[in-house]
Amino acid sequence: MASTARSVCTAICSLRAFGGKNHRFLSTSLLRLAAGGESDQPPKFMPPTKPVILDSAHKLPVRRFLSPEFIPPRQRTNPLKFALERKDMVKRRTTLNIPEFYVGSILAVTMWDPHASEKTNRFVGICIQRSGKGLGATFVLRNIIDGQGVEICFELYNPRIQQVEVLKLEKRLDDNLLYLRDALPEYSTVDINMKPVPSSISGEVALNQLKVKMKPKPWSKRWERPKYKVQGIRFDLCLSLEKMEEAQKWAQPWLEFDMLKEYDTTSLEESLRQELQEEASK
Amino acid sequence: MAAWGCRFLRLGDPLLRGTRFIVSRSAPTGESSVLGVQFVRTIKSTTWWDEHLSEENSSFLRKVIPEEYSSQTASMLNPLKDEPWPRHKWEEGSRRVGLVALKMGMMPIWTKTGDKRVVTMLQVLDCHVIKHLSKEDFDGHTAALIVGGKNVSPFYRSEEHMEMFRNAGVPPKQKLTTFKVSDNAIIKPGTPLYAAHFRPGHYIDVTAKTIGKGFQGVMKRYGFKGQPASHGQTKTHRRPGASGPGGDPAKVWKGKKMPGRMGNVYDTAFGLKVWRINTKHNVIYVNGSVPGHRNCLVKVRDTIVPTRLGAAQNPPFPTFFADEDEELPEDLYDEDVFQFGEPSVSLA
Repeated sequence: MASTARSVCTAICSLRAFGGKNHRFLSTSLLRLAAGGESDQPPKFMPPTKPVILDSAHKLPVRRFLSPEFIPPRQRTNPLKFALERKDMVKRRTTLNIPEFYVGSILAVTMWDPHASEKTNRFVGICIQRSGKGLGATFVLRNIIDGQGVEICFELYNPRIQQVEVLKLEKRLDDNLLYLRDALPEYSTVDINMKPVPSSISGEVALNQLKVKMKPKPWSKRWERPKYKVQGIRFDLCLSLEKMEEAQKWAQPWLEFDMLKEYDTTSLEESLRQELQEEASK
Repeated sequence: MAAWGCRFLRLGDPLLRGTRFIVSRSAPTGESSVLGVQFVRTIKSTTWWDEHLSEENSSFLRKVIPEEYSSQTASMLNPLKDEPWPRHKWEEGSRRVGLVALKMGMMPIWTKTGDKRVVTMLQVLDCHVIKHLSKEDFDGHTAALIVGGKNVSPFYRSEEHMEMFRNAGVPPKQKLTTFKVSDNAIIKPGTPLYAAHFRPGHYIDVTAKTIGKGFQGVMKRYGFKGQPASHGQTKTHRRPGASGPGGDPAKVWKGKKMPGRMGNVYDTAFGLKVWRINTKHNVIYVNGSVPGHRNCLVKVRDTIVPTRLGAAQNPPFPTFFADEDEELPEDLYDEDVFQFGEPSVSLA
């Protein structure tokens, strides 16, 4: 009996381990029924284990996030220019909720389109690139519609954008997923009627460790070259070892030690966060 | 100031053995040739500004003078306390003064229908009227105003240069430009100029020195087509081709477009629309691109494009006076511009 109880315990424990962060499904009734099941004798009373509710949302602090377009590029421009742009960006964010998202997240963007029949157009896709700084920031969504790959580059601060929803918040192994153009179509196919997947506002963003299989060469770019630093491709399936070694000829391992190319933005981000908080509290 | 100095040289000095001695004719020849005296004429007309100052004094001046200048520009006042000059009403055909502005960079804006435009941000920085040139002083046809922008250090500048600024009572400026103005648009020297001189909806011309490209071929410099990449071309892919007819003129015409230095010349972008004005930081948001690199000083004036002249009816005349004219909101927008903070565009 004790052994069964132990096995159930381990089962629950394993359930707990699989459940992720937000698990409140832990029930004690299962344990009691199992204890009374087998033998003829009236079961000895076993006090039920106290329900333990693990809610990680309250333990961990809320995740701090600064949209990357707030960080100005490193150049000899008057900082006032970026400050003026930031002001407009904050103003726009008061009317449009631009949520936190990353390259690899699945988004749905509703846009006003004067030529569409319902005047709005909703596009669902996986974000494969974020680029631009300031008001000109953009992101690219990719999906496969009727067997045809479709990419739309949205401007983040375009007033035609009516709504930006994050259907699935996750990161991928790379900061740029343009290689999905050369990957098998299943990796960029997203259901357009997809329901949003709930995600917590605390803790780390889930990292999807998915590695994609590529179509046969030629590709739009030689993704095996070291300058792209691609992690999310199964090169072992499409390229021989010799080819991979050949690609290493273009490696520039000294570049990471180039101190002139360093751009440490941690203090900058901190000051920007403070500034934005002050603006928000006004 | 030219000073005569003489150096006594030892003839046995190995370093000077090969040098030629310059001996002045007026100098007594007998002794000098024996001693080896070299008369050197040095012209010394200026002194360093801090040559006769102690270390503390010069550092104090370095600290105080920029503070004084910034406080002066912040006060938004004309430093000359004499009579204000008479102001006239705007009438058709008047030409106003322009501004000197700093090119900050570019950014996008959107119209009320959601169309994207790019704008260049021009900051009007410490812009003052420096001098008035009457018709006779200038060219006999029209009066002119000299306008300067962006304060600079007064040190290392000649007295003649500084005198003009001292007369106007303003700090020395990095950039000076001349604007031809009509007689009713003249402004007293020392008057500060602001971005609100222009209003959204006006059209302006912007003049600046373009970015230097160095020595370039004809394809980049003049947009020639070049020759095909393949099909038997040898050593002609980006070359100009023929340079004119053969035997009859028997020469290459003057002004033939050829490779050479490109850029680094003054260029004007005409008829650019003003979309927005920031009156707090004095920023003009001008449609499209503007010659010059980032942080360069540009000359901004009312456009001379005939079809755009009608847009500026009754502008601030002769300029916008911050201390007397009405209080303006921080941002002035053109009526077509989408203002961030409004709800998203969704027109029927």
